[in-house]
Amino acid sequence: MAQVITQPAPETPPRKRRAWRGVLVGWSFILPNFLGFALFTLVPMLAAFALAFVDWDSYRTPEWVGLDNFQRLLRDETFFVALRNTLYYAAGHIPLTLAAALGLALALNRRLRGVGFFRTAAFFPYITSLVAVAVVWNMLFNPTAGPVNQILQALGVDDPPRWAASTDWAMPAVIITSVWRDMGYYMVLFLAGLQAIPKEYHEAARVDGANAWHRFRRITLPCLRPTTFFVVVMLTIQSFKVLDLIVVMTDGGPGRSTLVLAQLVYREGITEGRFGYSSAIALVLFVIVLTVTVVQFRLNERRSDR
Amino acid sequence: MTALPDAPAVVAPPSPPGRPAGPRSRRPRPLRTALAYASLLAVALLVLVPFGWMVSSSLKRDNQVLTVPIEWIPREFRWSNFVEIWDRIPMLTYLGNSAFLSAAITVLQVLTGSFAAYGFAKVRFPGRDALFLAYIATIAVPWQAYMVPQYIMMQRAELTDTYWSIILLQAFGAFGVFLMRQYYLSIPDDLCEAARIDGLSEYGIYRRIMLPLSKPALASLAMLTFVNTWNDYMGPFIYLTSNDLWTVQLGLRSFVGQYDAEYAMIMTGAVLSVLPILVVFLFGQRYFIRGIATSGLKG
Amino acid sequence: MIASKAGKRRRFVRCTGVAAALALAVTACGGGGGSGEQASGGKTTLTVTVWNLAKTPEFTALFDAFQRANPDITIKPVDILADDYPEKVTTMLAGGDRTDVITMKNVTDYSRYSSRGQLVDITDLATSADGAKLAGLPAFNVQGKYYALPYRQDFWLLYYNKKYFEQAGVKMTDHLTWDEYAKLARTLTKEKGGKKVYGAYHHTWRSVVQAIAAAQTGGDQLGGDYSFFRDQYQLALGLQKDGATLDFGTAKAQKSDYKTMFESGATAMLPMGTWYIAGILSAKEKGATDVDWALAPMPQRPGATGATTFGSPTAFAVNRRTEHADAAKKFVRFAAGPAGAEAIGKVGVVPALQSPEITKAYFSLKGMPADEISKKAFQPGKVVLEMPVSEHTSDIDTILNEEHELIMVGDKSIDEGIGSMGDRVKSEVLD
Repeated sequence: MAQVITQPAPETPPRKRRAWRGVLVGWSFILPNFLGFALFTLVPMLAAFALAFVDWDSYRTPEWVGLDNFQRLLRDETFFVALRNTLYYAAGHIPLTLAAALGLALALNRRLRGVGFFRTAAFFPYITSLVAVAVVWNMLFNPTAGPVNQILQALGVDDPPRWAASTDWAMPAVIITSVWRDMGYYMVLFLAGLQAIPKEYHEAARVDGANAWHRFRRITLPCLRPTTFFVVVMLTIQSFKVLDLIVVMTDGGPGRSTLVLAQLVYREGITEGRFGYSSAIALVLFVIVLTVTVVQFRLNERRSDR
Repeated sequence: MTALPDAPAVVAPPSPPGRPAGPRSRRPRPLRTALAYASLLAVALLVLVPFGWMVSSSLKRDNQVLTVPIEWIPREFRWSNFVEIWDRIPMLTYLGNSAFLSAAITVLQVLTGSFAAYGFAKVRFPGRDALFLAYIATIAVPWQAYMVPQYIMMQRAELTDTYWSIILLQAFGAFGVFLMRQYYLSIPDDLCEAARIDGLSEYGIYRRIMLPLSKPALASLAMLTFVNTWNDYMGPFIYLTSNDLWTVQLGLRSFVGQYDAEYAMIMTGAVLSVLPILVVFLFGQRYFIRGIATSGLKG
Repeated sequence: MIASKAGKRRRFVRCTGVAAALALAVTACGGGGGSGEQASGGKTTLTVTVWNLAKTPEFTALFDAFQRANPDITIKPVDILADDYPEKVTTMLAGGDRTDVITMKNVTDYSRYSSRGQLVDITDLATSADGAKLAGLPAFNVQGKYYALPYRQDFWLLYYNKKYFEQAGVKMTDHLTWDEYAKLARTLTKEKGGKKVYGAYHHTWRSVVQAIAAAQTGGDQLGGDYSFFRDQYQLALGLQKDGATLDFGTAKAQKSDYKTMFESGATAMLPMGTWYIAGILSAKEKGATDVDWALAPMPQRPGATGATTFGSPTAFAVNRRTEHADAAKKFVRFAAGPAGAEAIGKVGVVPALQSPEITKAYFSLKGMPADEISKKAFQPGKVVLEMPVSEHTSDIDTILNEEHELIMVGDKSIDEGIGSMGDRVKSEVLD
């Protein structure tokens, strides 16, 4: 299957002219997107990174402070609380969503009458607006009158969790909601990947007498690798950047129990006007995500070289 | 109309006629099918419970929404909620604004994204991979970090509080490029090589081979972009100040914020905010999911 | 073959370009600018940031009155959700937005904007004859300069449901202590026909506990020692434990609304700000509620003389980047002046400009309770600023709020919570 960084067979002469042509042709493809991308994403982003080394409140002239912002970060307890919460969220959200999405895709990758309905159903949470999702789940998780706890009590749980109203259960509530919401999205990606697996592979394996589990392990999973990789990378990035859902569901509370890094970036920057410090936190968050992603790329490359 | 699974056959034309034409003949197993349906139904039910509750609440009175025990089916159906809400908030304006923004951004993103992705996946030139890495890296940066520089740029260009700001910011995202590139990579290079030998230019290959082959991916990207734009809250929140430019999400949030105890009306608004995108999805499903799914049948 | 392909390719590329251009052109038409620069026929359009326009009647009352007095100026409100108001306005100002008049929802935000130089200096208006009469003006003094003029002054008092008091055979007095308040709350709590009536409803804001404690004990919320909160927390948690108030976690998670709690008769007493008077008056006029209500002074600490409460002014300021500075200043002066006070007084809002006539006119409003206790509640002995203003205000506010939540959901004991407030404020903010 495809590698992520491809190295196709080298071309034959005339090399130099071809190389130049390659540059021109390549850029001609990339340019329309790149112009917009560079202007509206790259430039502001670089500006933001530069801000990590200054003290700036958006109004006064920025003042160069070197690494002060980062030193402050090391002393800031709230930063570590947010970092821990972010890791907690990622550790719950990534594997659970991955498993749910893959499971759904496998279950729905068959030719059954009405399978379209089930696919739509599974994708439905993702197309629902976050505002509506937050409202619905907050009501579902209502500690006293909410359906979730009523069902738990009916099942014999005497002392059901207080969900968003308790520091221990607020994050699980957020994770459950986010898995429910995101799994349909990644299911579509997995479905596309599953469709790309030539049916002959499975047929041949069946003829050889491989059972379903073996076929899954030996054919489906390896063939899904590019998709799985893409999904894991996107999930990781998404998990570390989570903000919207938390803002509308718990707003970081109770206390700081669901405060995540992205929210801290927002709070320090927009609310407090400390754009330098906020950018420093963002830079650290970026480095963390980048490191994880690069590790994932390396692992992926190594495995595909095998 | 060839779809992805056929690609290998094109690459290696003299492959044995392994696939029988038409749907494969496998013995139907009623028990298995019934089991499959049962499990699918269970999962669907679990996934849809929150929606069921949302729809059911939208048809209740405010004080009947949070009750012990839960009423899954309202005692009386208050359809009037769906009439009243149009008087309460300018829902039509919001829906129109959202639809316009989503459509414009989707068109731009799919066009430029898939075009650029071809450059990254199939054309080799120095600096390509480094540039691509820069693209991916930007996905990893939380948007809040560069929100302010972006905002100041837009303000200087006098584009805040216009649709331009949102469109320009979201139409050239790196995500589409990443998604499409991954997809193009799974299309064998030999296919392009064969086309080149046939005298097709790079643009021709993109247009005649890649685009048709990547229909499922294009459909996915289009749908995801549309949905993301439709559901985006923070972007419109920051850039669109004038109330007549508001999107559905802003309108709904504002309604929830102001009338926080009118649970039924809130749910009515929520249902209305989901409905259009559900319609788009149901109509587009053919091209989106089923398009992907049935491609294997067209042997 | 190649030529024809190239032709097709060109056409395709062109189509793509056209489509993109079209999309953008449509956008351009669709996205009208709303920056308030349109001046049609010699008329000036003034943009003013407001929150929850539909539910905040004084904005419309004020704008209508101003436009009647100044026919050449049209006011265009910029409606922002109250919950998001500070973030949205901060973002707008940081980016250099040109909205003419900015409403200062609280003094904390004011100190932030004024210290960043984002507001026009209007010291001349503040020191004029009318300006000096404004209650709450000192809160806007920044090193001898003023960047905003208050137009309304809210303070906290106790709302109560007269019907429930009669049913329980208890009487409201004009000098309640907190112990008496707690006893009343427990007495008034009942369950009738599956519907729970709480004795009191404490909204989730930290001020309900902390600001009143600070005002009545003289404690400093910026000081770093918060032991003066203790009695008030004991009271609030005690009532919560006995089921005499709606439990904090539930109130927070379902974003419960104090208006609904009181208007639907779910609570007998409600400590709240005077801004709610306008809300009840309009709800009753619309027939949305039939609650029979009256006012009382905030309960006091044992042995206290006089009535001490807390409050905060609301003000208008002129954006530094406005293009209509004169018209904007005119509006700010109008809102803070007698005409503005009359306009908002009519809808039940307490104006910052205070005089005996205005108070009298206020109590003659239709639907206002006319009993002596209510009138007394309206003249508190001392109104302490809800949260003192300094460069640390907003950071300390965040910490106090987080720890408040932890105490109220029972995650930390009162002493632990108060202890960590002090520790965090000292280590994270003060040094």
